[in-house]
Amino acid sequence: MTDYGQDLLFGTFITPTAQPVHQAVELAVVADRAGLDLATFQDHPYLPKFHDTWTLISYAAARTTRIRLSGNVLSLPLRQPAVLARSHASLDRLTGGRIELGLGAGAFWDGIEAMGARRLTPGQAVTALGEAIEIIRAVWSSEPGPVRVNGEFYQADGVKRGPAPAHDMSIWVGAYKPRMLRLIGRAADGVLPSLSYLEGGPADYAVINQHIDDSAVAAGREPARIRRMLNINGTFSGFGKSFLNGPAEQWAEDLAGVALEHGVSTFILASDDPAAIEEFAGDVAPAVRELVAAERAH
Amino acid sequence: MKHRLRFGALVTSVAEARRAEELGYDLVAVSPDERDPWTLLSWIAGHTERVGLAVTGLDAADREPTVLGRAAASLDLLSGGRLSLALTGEHLGEVTDIVRGVLDADQAGPLRYPGEHHRVPKAQRGPLPAHRIPIWLTGTDPASLALAGRTADGWIADLEQVSADELVTAYKIIEAAASEADRDADEIRRILIVDPDRSAAELSALGADTFLFRAAVLPDLTAWETLRDSSGPSVFRPASVRSKRRDGIAYDELPASLAATAVEPGDLDYARVRSTYMRGGAPGLVLRPTTTAEVVEALAVARAHPELPFGLRSAGHGVSGRSTNDGGIVVSLAALNTIEILDEARRLIRVGPGARWMDVAHALRPYGWALSSGDYGGVGVGGLATAGGVGWLARKHGLTIDHLHAVEMVLADGSVVRASATENADLFWAVRGAGANFGAVTSFEFEAYEVGDVGFAQLVVAADDPADLLVTWGRAIEAAPRDLSGQLIMGPPRPGQPAYAQLMAVVDSDDPETIIEQVQPIAAIAPLYQQEVVLTPYAGVISNAADGGYHQGVGEPTSRSGLIEHLTPAFARAVVKLLASGAVHWFQIRTVGGAVADVPADETAYAHRSANFSVIVMGSSKQRVDAAWAGLAEHFDGLYLSFETDQSPERVADAFPPATLARLRELKLRYDPDNLFRDNFNIKAAAR
Repeated sequence: MTDYGQDLLFGTFITPTAQPVHQAVELAVVADRAGLDLATFQDHPYLPKFHDTWTLISYAAARTTRIRLSGNVLSLPLRQPAVLARSHASLDRLTGGRIELGLGAGAFWDGIEAMGARRLTPGQAVTALGEAIEIIRAVWSSEPGPVRVNGEFYQADGVKRGPAPAHDMSIWVGAYKPRMLRLIGRAADGVLPSLSYLEGGPADYAVINQHIDDSAVAAGREPARIRRMLNINGTFSGFGKSFLNGPAEQWAEDLAGVALEHGVSTFILASDDPAAIEEFAGDVAPAVRELVAAERAH
Repeated sequence: MKHRLRFGALVTSVAEARRAEELGYDLVAVSPDERDPWTLLSWIAGHTERVGLAVTGLDAADREPTVLGRAAASLDLLSGGRLSLALTGEHLGEVTDIVRGVLDADQAGPLRYPGEHHRVPKAQRGPLPAHRIPIWLTGTDPASLALAGRTADGWIADLEQVSADELVTAYKIIEAAASEADRDADEIRRILIVDPDRSAAELSALGADTFLFRAAVLPDLTAWETLRDSSGPSVFRPASVRSKRRDGIAYDELPASLAATAVEPGDLDYARVRSTYMRGGAPGLVLRPTTTAEVVEALAVARAHPELPFGLRSAGHGVSGRSTNDGGIVVSLAALNTIEILDEARRLIRVGPGARWMDVAHALRPYGWALSSGDYGGVGVGGLATAGGVGWLARKHGLTIDHLHAVEMVLADGSVVRASATENADLFWAVRGAGANFGAVTSFEFEAYEVGDVGFAQLVVAADDPADLLVTWGRAIEAAPRDLSGQLIMGPPRPGQPAYAQLMAVVDSDDPETIIEQVQPIAAIAPLYQQEVVLTPYAGVISNAADGGYHQGVGEPTSRSGLIEHLTPAFARAVVKLLASGAVHWFQIRTVGGAVADVPADETAYAHRSANFSVIVMGSSKQRVDAAWAGLAEHFDGLYLSFETDQSPERVADAFPPATLARLRELKLRYDPDNLFRDNFNIKAAAR
C-alpha cells in the first residue's frame, strides 16, 4: 500500500481534432460545467488533423471559467523551453492560475523530424528534458539577472526572466522508463503515464513509484509532493465486466483501489463523449473521493 | 485605392479588444510585451466574435516554422477566419515560404523545403485555415522592404519609428521589388501604427490602407468614417489568384451580393467546394447565394454563360456528381439550410435545400416526428427531395416526396414561384421526381409524421449460396409488415474467405417484442455471423455522417441503378454472375414497395411505383460495370435517378415511363425552353 495522501483530481483527456473545428473546445466546456478539475489535450504537431495544442488550450481557456488546463503532454522537441515557460505563465496570469505544464520528451520521432526538428535518442531526450525544465523554472524565477543555462541541447544565454505564473505552476511529465522517472523525482512535479501503455495494468505503478521516490529522496525532495497521475480509458456499461468496464459505482471502486494501492491521485479520462465526461464527473469522481476519504480516515 | 480601408487598435487586454469590437474597429493587434503574444491573441480570440486578430510582430524564432503554420491555421479556424500573421526576425523569406506551404493544404504531397536556415524534410500540410491568412512582414531596411515587396501580403510599420518621408521611400522600394517579382504592388497591404490624434486628411496623406491606433482610450471612428467611403472593395484578389481563373467566365461582373461569397479556383475555399462526395471537380466559379433573391441572381449568371456546364448543389452527395463540373458554374444552395416548424398541429415544416437530412432528423426529434430520407445523414435536402427519397422508413411511410406539400422555386427565367397541389400543379408534379430539370427549389414544405423510437438491426449472414440468399431475403421482405424497411449489401467473392452479406433493417416500432418478431424472419434466412439490434430514435439511425470536413471525391463515379418487383431466381443467378465478374465493388438492394406503391404512378414524376426493390451497383471502370450490368438489364423495370451515373437519353427514358416522359417534355418546353437546367439527366423539351 502506497498512499501519498495527495488531494484527488479528476480530468478529461480530449482529442484536439481540427474537424469539427470547435469540438475539442466544446468538450472542455462540458468538462468545465460538469465540475471536473482538469481539461487536458494531447499534442502531436506533426499531424494536421489536430489543432495546434497550445493555441487550442489558450482559446479553450477563454471559453471556460473554472477548470484547469494543460497539455497531456506537450511535445518538447517541437516547442522551445523559454517559449513554453513564457506562454504558460502568460496564460496562467490571464486565467487567474488555471494552467499547468504537461511535458513530454517526444514520442514519434519520424513525425518530429519530418517537421524540421532534430531526432534524439531516448537517452538524449531525457537530458534535453532536464535542461528544458531548468530553463523553464529559471524563466519563471524572480532571481536577479537573465537566464543562463548552458546545456548540451538547450542553451539559454541571457534570456530575460518573466513573466512568472500566477500560481505555483506544476510541471507534469509523461514517463514510463527509469531514467525519465528518476528525472521526475529530481526535477518535476508530477508523473503522467497512460494506463493503455502500462503492460501490467495499474500494478505497473509500483515500479514507477519506486524510481521516483528513490530519486526524490536522493535529491532531498519529498516524494509525496510529486503528483501521481494516470490517463485512463474505459467503458460505462450496465453491469461489471472488467477493470473500468461497468457501471459508475464499479469505476469508483476500481479507481479508489488504484488511489489507495499506488497513491495515484489524478485520474484523467480519455474520452470525446460528452455523456461519458458527465458521468465521470457527476457519478465517478465524488464516489472515488468518498471511498478514498473513508479509507484514509481509518 | 484597391483595398478597403480598415481601422484597428493596439490592445493589451480582452477588455480593450472587446471595446474595439463594440466601436466597430476592423481588427485588434497585440504588441509583444513580456507575455507571449500568440497566447494573448488566442485568449482574445476566445473572448471576441467578429474583430480581426493580429500580432504587430511575432518573433519567427520562437517557433518551428512548421508548427507556426499549424498554429496559424488553428487560430484562424477557431476564430472563424479572423487572423493576420505579422512576422519579425531573421530568415523571414524562408519562414514565410514554410508557413504558406503548411497552410496550402490543397497542394498535393508533403511540404519539402530545403532552406539555408530552415530545413523541412516532409511535413504534412494543413489543416486548411478558414481563410487565406495574410502574412505581413516588418522591417525598414532595404532587404526587409524588398522581401515584403516580393512576397508579403502586407507590410507593417510604426509611425513612431518611421517618418512620413521615410515611409514614402519604403513604399517605393516595396513597389519596385513587387514589380520586379511580377506582382501588383496594390496586393500588398500597408499597415501603419499611428496615434489617433491625426485627422482624416492627415491619415489619408500617409498612403496606408490599415491604421492601427495606439491609444490609452480608444476613440470612436466617426472622425475617420469618411475615409472608408472612398476605399476599395471588401474582396480583393491578388494576381496570383486571378491567374487561376477559367476562360469564358465574367468574374468581374458578378453582382456585389454574390461576389462576397463566390469562390474561384485560386481562392482558399476552393478546396472546400470544388469536389463532391463521389466526384472530383474543377469548376470555374462556385456561387453561394444566401437568399432566394440571390439564387435569382445566381441563375442569371448561369443564364449568361449558356455554353458552360452548370451544376446545382445542395450538399454535394449526389452519386452522379452533377453538382460539380470542369470549368463551369456551380450554384451551391448550402447556405439555404434553415429548418422551421410552420404549424405544429399539422406537423408542417419548412426546410431549405442546403440542410442535411441528419440535421432535419435532429430538429424533428423533440416533437416526436421524423421524415424518411435516404440511408445517409450527410445527404442534402434539395437533391433528394426533387428525385424521390428511398429511406429507412420507405415501406411504412413512402418516399420523401410523398410528404411534400409545396415548394418555392426559382425558374429558368428567374421568376420565383410556389408550386403545390393547388398552385402550379403541373410544376409540383414535375418537381417530385424530375426537379433538377425545372428549377432551383429554395424551400420545401413537408408534412412530417410521428415516429417514436425504432428498432435498428444490423446483421451479417453467411452467403455461401448467394443466389438462394437473395431470393429468400426478397421473399422475407415482401412478406414482412410495412413497419420494416431495409437493405442488403454484398461484395465480390473473396478467394479463400467465407462469403457474407450485410442485412440492415429498421422496424418502425418502439416495442422490443414487435421488433424482434419482425426482424426474426430476416435473420433466419442464413446462418448469422454477427447481429446487433438496438432501440434508437430515428435520428440515431440517420446520424451516420461525420460533421466538419469537406468533400474530396476524385475521378468519375460509376454507378448503375435498376428497379425491380421481385428478386426471382433468374435475377439472383444474374447477380451472382455480376459479382463474380469483379467489375463492381458495391452491390446494394434497398427496399421500396409498401406505402411507396400506394401512390398512383401518375401522381408524381417518380412513376415506377410497383417496384419492391431498388438495386445499386458501383465500380471503377464504366466499361466493365456496364458490361456486367447488361446481364441484369432484362429484369428491371425502370431506375432511380439518384443512383445512376449514365447521363444518356436511354437512362432518362428508363427513369420515366413514356407517358411521364412525354408530359415532362411538354413541361420542359413551358418552364425551361432554353434548357438552363441541362446537366443532370437532361429532359429534352418537346418540339415547339
